[in-house]
Amino acid sequence: MLPEHLLLAGLVLLIVTSLVRGMRSLAFPLALGVIAAASGAAFWLASAGLSAEPFPGHFVVSPTTLMVKGALLALALPVLLMSRSDFSREGLGDTEFPTLLVASLYGLSLLPSAASALVLFLGLEMMSIPVYALIVLAFRRPQSAESALKYLVLSGAASATLLMGISLVYGTTGSMDLSAYRDAILQADLMARTGVVLVLLALFLKAAVVPFHAWAPDTYEGASVPVTAYMATLSKAALLVVAVRFFDGVNVSGSMVDLLAVLPLVSIVWGNIAAIRQTNLRRMIAYSSIAHAGYLFYAFLGTSEGRLEAVTFYIIVYSAANLLAFAVLPSHTDDVVRDRMETLDGLFHRDPMAASLIAVAMLSLAGLPPFPGFTAKFLIFKSVIAAGYSTYAVLGLVGSFLGLYFYLRVVQRMFMLPSTAAATTSVGQGLGKAAGVLCLAATAVLMIVPGWVLDRF
Amino acid sequence: MSDAMLLNVLLFLPLGAAALLAFVRGNANAVRITTTAAMAVQFVIAMVLYSHFDGAVPGLQAATSVPWIAEWGVSYAIGLDGVNILLVLLTAFLGPLVILGAWTAIEKDVALFHVNVLLLQFAMMGAFLSQDLFLFYVFWEAMLIPMFLIIGIWGGARRSYATVKFVLYTAFGSILMLAAVIYLVWSLQQAGGVASFAFADLLQARLPLDVQITLLAAFALSFAIKVPMVPLHTWLPDAHVEAPTPGSVILAGVLLKMGTYGFMKLGFPLFPDATRLFTPVLMSLSVVSIVYGACLALVQQDIKKIIAYSSISHLGYVMLGLLSLDLAGIQGAVIQMVSHGLVAAGLFLLVGMVYERGHTRELSAYGGLARQIPVFGVFFIVFTLASVGLPTTSGFTGEFLVLLGAFTAAWPQHLDGVHLPLILSVTAVTGVVLGALYMLRFALTFVFGPEKAPHGPLTDLTLREKTVLGILTVSIFALGLFPDSALRKTELAAKTYQQLVSTSRLPNDAK
Repeated sequence: MLPEHLLLAGLVLLIVTSLVRGMRSLAFPLALGVIAAASGAAFWLASAGLSAEPFPGHFVVSPTTLMVKGALLALALPVLLMSRSDFSREGLGDTEFPTLLVASLYGLSLLPSAASALVLFLGLEMMSIPVYALIVLAFRRPQSAESALKYLVLSGAASATLLMGISLVYGTTGSMDLSAYRDAILQADLMARTGVVLVLLALFLKAAVVPFHAWAPDTYEGASVPVTAYMATLSKAALLVVAVRFFDGVNVSGSMVDLLAVLPLVSIVWGNIAAIRQTNLRRMIAYSSIAHAGYLFYAFLGTSEGRLEAVTFYIIVYSAANLLAFAVLPSHTDDVVRDRMETLDGLFHRDPMAASLIAVAMLSLAGLPPFPGFTAKFLIFKSVIAAGYSTYAVLGLVGSFLGLYFYLRVVQRMFMLPSTAAATTSVGQGLGKAAGVLCLAATAVLMIVPGWVLDRF
Repeated sequence: MSDAMLLNVLLFLPLGAAALLAFVRGNANAVRITTTAAMAVQFVIAMVLYSHFDGAVPGLQAATSVPWIAEWGVSYAIGLDGVNILLVLLTAFLGPLVILGAWTAIEKDVALFHVNVLLLQFAMMGAFLSQDLFLFYVFWEAMLIPMFLIIGIWGGARRSYATVKFVLYTAFGSILMLAAVIYLVWSLQQAGGVASFAFADLLQARLPLDVQITLLAAFALSFAIKVPMVPLHTWLPDAHVEAPTPGSVILAGVLLKMGTYGFMKLGFPLFPDATRLFTPVLMSLSVVSIVYGACLALVQQDIKKIIAYSSISHLGYVMLGLLSLDLAGIQGAVIQMVSHGLVAAGLFLLVGMVYERGHTRELSAYGGLARQIPVFGVFFIVFTLASVGLPTTSGFTGEFLVLLGAFTAAWPQHLDGVHLPLILSVTAVTGVVLGALYMLRFALTFVFGPEKAPHGPLTDLTLREKTVLGILTVSIFALGLFPDSALRKTELAAKTYQQLVSTSRLPNDAK
């Protein structure tokens, strides 16, 4: 449990620094160090092959879970780095952002190791609650409050649904253990089945799968950029890890397929179509993430063998690409102007590096080879076809084709249109660029040696 | 250095050169010189490899194979065989000529342009050299991005529309091919237990007829869009017209060969039974492409469009040759691919040179260029005649062999009472006549007739332009007069292809 302990110790220290006036500037480097150390510890323990059960039946540790944990925590580094270039402008959030982020990460790091529904629920809530506060941190604009409230209500509803599902399954099987879901899904018992379906719906709601997606664009738009980046990547990634834990060992077939394939398929198609119409960059990213949630749930079809690998690889690739784009987005004193698509017009002529990095991110998200988004998508669709659902695979691929257009539009704006906003837009500061380079390095590794990365899981 | 190592250098050289451009990006001429030098070195390497290539040895030469994603059976496998050797040489040959020939065509964001050209060169080489289906797909799709930027940034007035159309068209084909690729490898893994994307393993596949038909349809859609075959050709005129000169040259010279190469290397040999079942349909489409492309070229008023439609017609011959399954026809198809690469590249360069001087592509704006700019006139007539297929030029060798093969294959079938192949072959011949018609109509108003120029007197070709066109002219005659070397190097591969497609590979005759 070394990574968790490190995060907890860091959290305590961070709270202390925020209380002492002279130490506030230490919060950022401290958080950076803590997250890096926790991630490093997870990787180190994984490579040492640690397998243990600190809390039998509730919390298990294996090299694979540690690997997932290390990767997720490493992805938090760019989020923290880019927060610096966003908040420092306002003289606000010197300590708040790092503290809340580390608090949220503590919950997140419990999830891959959770072996009981109890720990899963606990981790999920501990991860989400700091995010409500993070959204309101950007209260300079009225939408932030609306955004936070929407997220709070929707998330609350999702948690309630999840709890109901967990209780129903507990009621039938008498066990909090996650293996109970494997059995419950096979039973004809109505109560157990309802429980499983409720759990699944709660996950869909939190991951913004159509038709439970409407909160995502509004929330993404209202939050500050680093918080949006955190929600779009790490929270979504953590949620998918939760889903993998719930469905561990479950062979998704028969009537479950209707639920687990149709809604994600609709998500892919609708997310990609709706994204085309967006004039606001972050709403576009939100719809794109709705489509990506669809691909991710596609990985659940068939047996659970290789599912964690496919999902983890996909979320790492997807998060690296998204964070890459967010890290180097042109910033502007006026949030409304910043989020307009037109702000990207001719970016290549103002800031070639930022434009090139965003282009790489978009093409990777679009799933075009040679970028790692393709390898990740390939892995997902390979598992769908191997599970015997070729029709769903073809439909999903055609759905992903629909998404190509709006990703290309972004590239077109940056490279092919004349610059219109040159005078008013300043471009991301040093730390944002550093975050971008970090993500680019990760993307390059995922592109050149995907086999090596896959072997880790 | 061993040949295998040399081949890797050949592949990665443009990538290295693209990185090098970062250091000289401020100086436009330094960028152009670096790019040309890198491409020239690549051509020299390609020549060395070509001379070392032994046409009598079956299988791959200068091959490298390293596991890449071992878990999925994906490897980094490249190599030369009789199918790709000429196309690799063509790609490397056109590379420096494109940059030299269109030296002044690009004035905006010069460094970014050349980075894109080098990346495109890398991707095209990779697609030709790949011996692994996953790797092939990656390179195949990777070609899209630089071309998307080349047309979109440096293109004409409707570049935005043309480039999006180009990408969406080709990507749609590829996405279904992706599903087919996954399904193909997965079903072989089910049957044999081992996952492998290597071409050599896939060509052993025995698939039931219905599966073969479905997969062939997916592959064929992707390849036919790239060729392009009527009715999937509508992206080509737009892309060609809007692309800047170097973009058009690469598109016509190399990129269009991807589709026919794909059919020859993968599409037909992987699914032989389905191919033979659908040969009448595919052959009819090829002949329709030949005739319809020629007819459309006949009525165009835009000089770039004439050549764009003529490409559709010329690539129809390649498809016809491949489908004839006659040795002469197959070899003719290979020669025709190279020949069209050279001739179309030359014509697009010529048109680009006129465009740089006259700033319009309207055919009616020009006239009597032979008298105004005589050197240009001479070169234009040479390339026109090569396009028409005059004996001694490469165009003749290709088209003649294709038609010979088509008739040789059609005659016995005609005697057996199957008349369609013969009818198609005869119709294909009319394409040659139509080809002469549209090219001569073009030449007649363009270089002969009353003298006309859009903006006052035109200046004749510079030494640089003459050199580039001169080199292309020599290569066209070399391939036309001495096709032996090329034919010898590809003969065995053509025979292998013929055998692969002619032999049934259904699961029940596995014994």
